[in-house]
Amino acid sequence: MFAKHKNIAILLFFVLITGKLLSNQISFRLEIKNHSILFNDGHSVDAKLFSGISNNINCSELLIWQSTDTLNLKVVNLDIASHGFMSNNLFDLGIIAPGDSASITVSDFQPGIYRYFDATQSPYNEYLGLSGIIHIKNPQENTPYFYWDLREYQEEWNDQLNLGVFPNLLNYSPKYFTINGNSEPDINNDPIARVTGNVGQELKIVIVNNGLSIHSMHFHGYHAVLVNSSKNSSHVGRSKDTFPLYPSEYIVLSLTPDKPGEYPVHDHNLVAVTGGGIYHAGMFTTLLISP
Amino acid sequence: MRLILTLLCILITILAESQIDYNKLIIGRNNGIHTFHDGQQTRTFGFTETLSAAVKVPGPTISCNAGDSVKIDFWNMSQGAPHTIHLHGLDVDQQNDGVGMLSFEVMHDEHGYYYFKAPHPGTYLYHCHVGSTIHLQAGMYGLVIVRPTDGNQNLNWDGGETFNKEFSLLASEMDTVWHNDTILDHEHDMTMPLYVPEVYNPQYFLINGLSGTQLTDPVNYLFALKNDKIYMRLANIGYYGTKFIFPTGLNARTVASDGRPLPFEVLSDTVEVLPGERYETFLQLGTEQFYPIIVEHFNLNNQIIESSQEVIIQTSSLNLTSIENNFYIFPNPSKGMFNIFNANEDALKLYTADGVFMKFISDDYIDLTSYPCGVYIISDGIQSIKIVKD
Repeated sequence: MFAKHKNIAILLFFVLITGKLLSNQISFRLEIKNHSILFNDGHSVDAKLFSGISNNINCSELLIWQSTDTLNLKVVNLDIASHGFMSNNLFDLGIIAPGDSASITVSDFQPGIYRYFDATQSPYNEYLGLSGIIHIKNPQENTPYFYWDLREYQEEWNDQLNLGVFPNLLNYSPKYFTINGNSEPDINNDPIARVTGNVGQELKIVIVNNGLSIHSMHFHGYHAVLVNSSKNSSHVGRSKDTFPLYPSEYIVLSLTPDKPGEYPVHDHNLVAVTGGGIYHAGMFTTLLISP
Repeated sequence: MRLILTLLCILITILAESQIDYNKLIIGRNNGIHTFHDGQQTRTFGFTETLSAAVKVPGPTISCNAGDSVKIDFWNMSQGAPHTIHLHGLDVDQQNDGVGMLSFEVMHDEHGYYYFKAPHPGTYLYHCHVGSTIHLQAGMYGLVIVRPTDGNQNLNWDGGETFNKEFSLLASEMDTVWHNDTILDHEHDMTMPLYVPEVYNPQYFLINGLSGTQLTDPVNYLFALKNDKIYMRLANIGYYGTKFIFPTGLNARTVASDGRPLPFEVLSDTVEVLPGERYETFLQLGTEQFYPIIVEHFNLNNQIIESSQEVIIQTSSLNLTSIENNFYIFPNPSKGMFNIFNANEDALKLYTADGVFMKFISDDYIDLTSYPCGVYIISDGIQSIKIVKD
């Protein structure tokens, strides 16, 4: 009897060890940086971001790993002010002083979408760009994903914040509207944002509102099904063509195109499809569906 | 050979046309004048069904049945920029989607066809998608209602739930600065930037094109019968958020959004509708005479409520369940304003007390305030009702 239990224990031990050995180690190094975002009308804003290794220099890094991975995360603060780094239900690296860094190693994740952000001076540091998307993937899922990090900018706000002045939230009236830090037509050049696929193929779109305004994203050509919502879990299962997103909210949509073509998706607050007073220079992209 | 090909083309065209269930003529115009509740006026763009019709905001509602093959013959008679019709939410193919850069634009004095098969019963929108930030603000929008396959006007969808009466509330706003000629009469060149005002500060918040005291004018009350089961179609085509707040006790029950049934009904007196969204909500009226619906419009950047207005449902004091009338009129007697509920589409006729024909009545009210006090008669040719102006 004892020998039998011992064998099972040894077997479990080996299974655990093997599992740990098989789990992938994934490392991210994020640098808190200042960065100037140039808009299509020639204006720019001084923003901040959690910068990684991706080519997108206008937006905090999109972090993707698998739920079976072991994460090694290091955040280095290259700014002259202190900042934080946290994600609800995942981890909190605390306050990171200028020139300092913080690290964490974590495993055993629940698959899903999460936001990470700097909670200091909330919501101003998030507004400046210090917030991003985490996708912890289910290893069994092969569905193509696309990611839209929505945010908007008001030049005077960035000027004031960089001088240490905190503008009144009630006076917020942004002029530039971006997806992953880009405005039309550049959004379609971002392979993370630009949705491409085939008729009959399930596509998933993660939309995270990292800005301060409410956005209402309208799809031409198709209805999509809400499969995850951070704000309204009771809305999951709705088939719609227009999806509102409140600040800090994220949703996941499932879209299975029934016909080919190129179809716009844009904020239906149509002020948000402009940029600096120019029409079609805001939150506007197209889905490109092949037969 | 050429003759055969020509005949073949004609035959194909005839066959295609014979499969159209619903034809609609829509005309794009840019010479509307919109009057607000305070008497101020502003220039608008809009859609009409005839050239002689006044441009109104919103445009005419397009109604068809699920499964219908629909053809819209769209004429641009605006003297200005090109226009299109985007069939918002109807999931039409790229060619018929109304986005100029991905299909076609209709230039002034030209026309184009939009074809689609109405997919699902529900509430949709149509609007111009050229310079859309300006052209929607200018007024180029309206509702599309897709009814069940058999055209039942008292059923929300095939196999769905019945109702006695339906109302549509379409929310929008206007910033009159955006309606100046210098903005509306913009140059159109798809290769050049189109400039829009950088600030959007609407002075007027609209429900079905009406604002403020226009909404609380008895002429614009929504009329129903006591104990009616109402189907509300709520839509927002503006750039603000809208909250529709129904009186408690009406058991507001939202069952559909964006032309699809909800997986789970929502029991709430407040329905929030963001730009481009539509919701469909049941209300169960009781025996009260007035039911005020509060409509709040809030800024999407700071969530401040900038306007709160009321839409009034008025119920008739008549118990029509015991009267087989085709139409009825209330209040009666009145000081001159009579509301008309007409179950038929035919126009009614107004007569003097001694039977002299005065005029046709096609609206759902008649204003006799400028007429002498006394007795008048309204008739549909079968039934006549005596009304008294006192």
